[in-house]
Amino acid sequence: MAKVLDINQLVTHFTIAGKSYPVIRDLSFYVNQGETVCIVGESGCGKSVTTLAIMDLLPNNGEVVSGSIKLNEIELTKLNKKERNAFRGRDMGMIFQEPMTALNPLLTIGYQLTENIMLHRKVDKKNATKIAIHYLNVVGISNPTERLKQYPFQLSGGLRQRVMIAMVISVKPKLLIADEPTTALDVTIQKQVLNLMNKLKKDIDAGILFITHDLGVVAEIADRVIVLYAGRKVEEASVEDLFNNPKHPYTIGLMNAVPNVDSDHFEIKPIPGTFPLLTDDIKGCRFHPRCPYATDRCRNEIPNEVEYDKHHRVACFKVEEEFDHE
Amino acid sequence: MSEERKVLLEVRKLKKIFPIKRNVQLKALNDVSFKIYEGEKFGVVGESGCGKSTLGRVLLQLHKQTSGSTVYHGKSVEDVNPAYMNKEIKNLTIYQKKARDFYQASLKIDREVDNLLLQRESIDVLGSENDTKRYDQLSRKIDKLQYDSKELRKNASRQLREGSRTIGSLILSSHLEEIQKQYAEAQKISEKVHQLLKERKALDAKTQKKWIESEKNIDDRVKLNEAEQLKQKLSRLDAKLDEYRVQVKTIKKQTYQNYKGKDYLPITEQTLDPKYQQKLDANYETGLNLAKLSSSEIKPIRREMQMIFQDPAASLDPRQSIGSAIEEVFKINTKYSKEVRQEKTIALLEKVGLKAEYYDTYPHALSGGQKQRVGIARAIALNTNFVVLDEAVSALDVSVQAQILQLLNKLSDEFKLTYFFITHDLGVVKHFCDRILVMYLGSACELADSKTLFNEPLHPYTQSLLEAVPRPRIQGEIKRDTIQGEVPSPINQPKGCPFHTRCKFAMDVCKTEKPVYHEAKPNHFVACHLFEENVKA
Repeated sequence: MAKVLDINQLVTHFTIAGKSYPVIRDLSFYVNQGETVCIVGESGCGKSVTTLAIMDLLPNNGEVVSGSIKLNEIELTKLNKKERNAFRGRDMGMIFQEPMTALNPLLTIGYQLTENIMLHRKVDKKNATKIAIHYLNVVGISNPTERLKQYPFQLSGGLRQRVMIAMVISVKPKLLIADEPTTALDVTIQKQVLNLMNKLKKDIDAGILFITHDLGVVAEIADRVIVLYAGRKVEEASVEDLFNNPKHPYTIGLMNAVPNVDSDHFEIKPIPGTFPLLTDDIKGCRFHPRCPYATDRCRNEIPNEVEYDKHHRVACFKVEEEFDHE
Repeated sequence: MSEERKVLLEVRKLKKIFPIKRNVQLKALNDVSFKIYEGEKFGVVGESGCGKSTLGRVLLQLHKQTSGSTVYHGKSVEDVNPAYMNKEIKNLTIYQKKARDFYQASLKIDREVDNLLLQRESIDVLGSENDTKRYDQLSRKIDKLQYDSKELRKNASRQLREGSRTIGSLILSSHLEEIQKQYAEAQKISEKVHQLLKERKALDAKTQKKWIESEKNIDDRVKLNEAEQLKQKLSRLDAKLDEYRVQVKTIKKQTYQNYKGKDYLPITEQTLDPKYQQKLDANYETGLNLAKLSSSEIKPIRREMQMIFQDPAASLDPRQSIGSAIEEVFKINTKYSKEVRQEKTIALLEKVGLKAEYYDTYPHALSGGQKQRVGIARAIALNTNFVVLDEAVSALDVSVQAQILQLLNKLSDEFKLTYFFITHDLGVVKHFCDRILVMYLGSACELADSKTLFNEPLHPYTQSLLEAVPRPRIQGEIKRDTIQGEVPSPINQPKGCPFHTRCKFAMDVCKTEKPVYHEAKPNHFVACHLFEENVKA
């Protein structure tokens, strides 16, 4: 399988009050064609910043300091602004959390869809409308011809998100980035959108990078999962390995904190402490202040990522030691 | 089990309609009824727009309800001595008279209808072709009169129902004037209780201040003496209060027992039916009807009924320090001196798991979870016993969310709090709440204890909601049915059952008739035609 997206040793800094702080530290991962990779983590862990760095949409005080971002073997970080612009929308499309803010409230759905198609597929308006109608059908919107004449406020949240998906896939991107696309939706609608994305995955043949904080959503949609904590990857595994055999204490803590709908007995087990601030200076493993197994080594050294099973990588000294014993 | 538990809040046929434009109304709540027991964690789930937030706000009377009753049992009627009680007692005879008048008027119309029916029949038997016009006219008139008579009867029973809220089925009694006198007597004592409570509040603040002063200088015998004296005075006052309270209760109880079932008047055709009388007795409100309180009367009750919001940052002033934000609660609601306020604030901060050092920090320096802790501290600062939590943990990350839930659990045990927990997260509600109400489009669908609701959901909506929750687990390829369609607009609600447009079991009756919310199994309420056989039987 071809790697659509390949990120190596990405470091991103943000400047706050004249001082530069790392937000993403040495992040490496890849997305294959036709594969869904999920990034999970709590707010502030850098999952959104990763997507913004890929799209080159970082705010003014953020910058990619080092590392490489390759899209279909093309190194993006070396390109200038104009060249990178050509990739955005065409080769990689993005779906945001709140579709109301991503769509222009003053223009009809039809205008916004066809504008995108005309620009990237180089077709005239008549054909663009035909393509738009086709993709509205694909995402399961009934009466597409009528819908094209409507404005975003006339659609419900679920429909708006479907329109966003149609807009992105209508230009056949290689990489689809979805940043919490179902977080603002109700559960029943969320389920519908997730089902749609799972169905589309087989049809559009693109790599999907899916950002979420909800482990339930991860289980529904992911092939592979990356767990981020405070800008660092702590665990990477196939979705089966992650849920059946989580290794990093943070991943385990995260799973224990989610109330299980199906079991009758559940003890609320929070991870102690609070998420570190961007400006906090933590030596060693970023998770050690909250980790029940922290040792002196964790407090001073940064654990390296080690591959245990096939594609199951963990950055934790405790796991490393246990593995050595076996 | 639950029968023995004390009811804290009882909601009956609660309706809330928001006017949007002329002739356009948004029915946010349709006839929602339930009881909340003391010390329980009552959960409400539903999708956005189902009316769960509106319900929480109506309970606190932040929105005025359109109709129905919200009865609060956390504070006794005599302590508040609301103005509406006097008015209602005065109105009792008027209710009875009006009910009788309405019923008599309807009887008169009935007689007229009888006459017209006779006339119509004679046309039917004797009439020729020319009389068809006259026949139609008569029919129309009969229809109108029959409708009027029905409305009058409805009005009559409405009057009786209004009266029964104050005295139960005694509204039918022929000794209504004596009953009125007894109740007015009770009201006079209530008034005294109310006055004494005001004195008590001032005295309490004074005592607390003296006590702290004496604690600071332990050797000062005089101050200690003064404090002791004040304390004694306070307990004497309390004893008196209790005496009066008992008096009020006995008068009401005795009156009720003396006249119950005695010499009831045949006001309408139903009034001598014991079943109807029972129904009126069930209307007897022993608690406070929150909707009828004036704005000054509801203020002290607001202190006991608090709310915690979803976004903790939005409910704090960014330019006010944490300490002063909490202290403000005492400043407004109590007469405590500055030292007492500060001491209480620091104690509260520790209660909710924040260090005392946070007293002088500002909200921006706190994380989301910590801000929510401040919100909780503010809500429980006064002698709170009921808290509405409107999506209080939804904006927090899972690890922090669990911490806050743990804190809420701890506080409810410690202060005997009753929670009204509004959320869309089924996982949280299952493990946090004792009983859960499922709402859809302003109507109650199902109410059961959390175990039953999740293991044996009855309503199809509850079932599809449970199916839609993403599980953080790999379970292979289990294809579950996904619910189709979206929630209809609350402005144009579907006729019949609100859920029938998305329900896979929808029958013809669902499209025309609204299902009755009833107890399908013990302590398991549901509104669905699938379970209605018992109701009709």
